[in-house]
Amino acid sequence: MKILMGIAEGFGEIRAHKFRSFLTMLGVVLGVASLLAMFALTAGIAKGYREVMSQMGGLERVKVRTEPVPSHQESIRELSPGRTYKDAQALRRNAPLLSWISPELDTYLPVRRADKTESFQVIGVEEDYLHTERHNVEHGRFLSDKDRWDHSRVCVIGRGVVERLWDDPEGVPLGESVRIGNEIFRVVGIFQRYESDQDKKRRELKAKHPPPPPQAGTRSRSRSRWSTFRFKNDVVVVPITTFSTVFKNTKQAGTPEEGSELKLDDLNVQVADLEMFEEALAQIRQVLMVTHRGIEDFSVETRQEMFDEMNTSLRNLHMSFGLIAGISLLVGGIGIMNIMLASISERIREIGIRRAVGARSADIFGQIVIESTVLAALGGVFGLGAALGLMRVLEAMSPVQNRPVVEPSAVIMSLTFAVGVGVLAGLYPAWRAAKLSPIEALRYE
Amino acid sequence: MSLIELRDVRKIYRIGDIEIRALDGVSLEIHEGEYIAIIGPSGSGKSTLMHVLGCLDRVTEGHVRIDDVDVSRAGSDRLARTRNEKIGFVFQSFNLLPRLNVLENVELPLVYSGIGKSERRRRALEAVAAVGLSDRTGNRPNQLSGGQCQRVAIARALVNRPRIILADEPTGALDSRTGRAIMDLFRELSQRGHTVALVTHDANVASEAARQIVLRDGKIV
Ligand SMILES: Nc1ncnc2c1ncn2[C@@H]1O[C@H](COP(=O)(O)OP(=O)(O)OP(=O)(O)O)[C@@H](O)[C@H]1O
Ligand SMILES: [Mg+2]
Repeated sequence: MKILMGIAEGFGEIRAHKFRSFLTMLGVVLGVASLLAMFALTAGIAKGYREVMSQMGGLERVKVRTEPVPSHQESIRELSPGRTYKDAQALRRNAPLLSWISPELDTYLPVRRADKTESFQVIGVEEDYLHTERHNVEHGRFLSDKDRWDHSRVCVIGRGVVERLWDDPEGVPLGESVRIGNEIFRVVGIFQRYESDQDKKRRELKAKHPPPPPQAGTRSRSRSRWSTFRFKNDVVVVPITTFSTVFKNTKQAGTPEEGSELKLDDLNVQVADLEMFEEALAQIRQVLMVTHRGIEDFSVETRQEMFDEMNTSLRNLHMSFGLIAGISLLVGGIGIMNIMLASISERIREIGIRRAVGARSADIFGQIVIESTVLAALGGVFGLGAALGLMRVLEAMSPVQNRPVVEPSAVIMSLTFAVGVGVLAGLYPAWRAAKLSPIEALRYE
Repeated sequence: MSLIELRDVRKIYRIGDIEIRALDGVSLEIHEGEYIAIIGPSGSGKSTLMHVLGCLDRVTEGHVRIDDVDVSRAGSDRLARTRNEKIGFVFQSFNLLPRLNVLENVELPLVYSGIGKSERRRRALEAVAAVGLSDRTGNRPNQLSGGQCQRVAIARALVNRPRIILADEPTGALDSRTGRAIMDLFRELSQRGHTVALVTHDANVASEAARQIVLRDGKIV
């Protein structure tokens, strides 16, 4: 009851001094706006990071890299066959902590359909590739065991390939043929389109309201824009056996069969359980040391460092943005405190009158704190509005996948901060007002 | 049993080395229903005495009992309650809140005694009627004459039905005709059974009171 009245009085006080109150609130408005903008920016960046990381296979994905032979093993370098298909087989047999093992061959080749030719990354893979790369086949099927044994001339293509070689970017050209290099392949599957949430929304919006002139000449949307997702979309996948016989001139290495010493272009594996990450790495190392006959011409690359780096930079971002927002809120708070102190000296007589008719010092204290809180909360609400406006600008300026995201928790947090600043800024003036004796206050000129 | 009792009250101000004895050993009893005029030359301690009686100020020495409560030893919240419930104070300079209208000013003591809105309104209207200002309830103090302001202040003093009404030169800021009307109001209150104590410079006014207390240099003579 008393609090409600206090709030009403707070608003009355603001109404009585509109301009002054506005100036006072400005600090809080800016503080809340920058706080919210900071939350939204970092949330957007974090979201972008997470999307990219997940598309790249997450932390579970580990890459086996080739390394130069260490100098002390220089004399016996001939002993190691290098990173071969055998490694993949050995890992499948002897590394139970890995869930998928994907040996890969790849190269860039011109891919042609009808009269269009574009260069794409062509990868020779086995079935595990689907899992290590976190691919999703939207239409048709993925490459099969049988394709591999038969050295079939079949391929699975990404959405980017469809967009660039076919007229309808949403088309499903299953069963159609493309020429990869000099060989004809049949399309048996099409991956889903990989894109950030933001891109997806924009594309759907465009589909609903197509831009006025459907430009016939220019090819599909936004393909020149850099995006992590482009790697994944612009891909042509064929059986590893077909790849090695058709595109690798190194016939002498043979095809990937039991014990083959075919050199791999890539070897990616997925750790089954992140809890056992270190153990899995040790296992990989152990198995490969055997196949490489003790020669350490390989390394195991994890995403751990990348993750750590991302997290640290996110934390730093939070801190520096937080500092800026904190400072503006602090300045806002000092502004409020200043005004409250000024308004108290203006109203000492009023305080005396209230005390004379029976207000306790706690009533006076409460009144001042509530007034200052109302002022700050109002500033917070305006700040919220300002922040949403600011967001429009930031959205236009920041890269696609790092779009600011306004989370409800950030809104609540910012408002809470504003109210907190109001309470804190009110405490000292309130204490000053409350400690006045009634007669001192009444006599004040 | 007296309503107010002062025993050996001293109020001493120290400014540097100088000691000002605003009240210097005042003993006094006021009974329920009395009408008292306090007179004396300027600087004799009349206002100081009123503030002590009104629980607005603390004494340096001595005891003050109001309605059987030793207010000279009470905490500040207790004093606030006493001011709120037992005392109505009328100031020379009215002391109304400029941003509140007549009704809101009169309601103010009731706000601090925690009385609900509708009851506040009812009682405030009653008090405003008692001072003859029913037609000005929505006005702000700066829209009223001095006499009307003082009526509002009296209504405010009455609104919580206090046992004691104190007034420090209530007509000091008014012309003599308006002052006359205000004094009539106090006499009426006294006749209705309120205990009234007021400070005045006007010998005629003082002579109307049943009892006169004369102060000189902080002492009752
Ligand atoms: N806050 C104070 N600090 C110091 N001295 C004070 C203070 N208040 C009052 N006095 C002194 O106490 C004495 C009594 O003052 P008081 O106001 O009670 O006189 P008064 O009888 O009301 O005078 P007047 O008729 O002019 O109103 C005066 O000498 C005055 O200067
Ligand atoms: Mg005086």
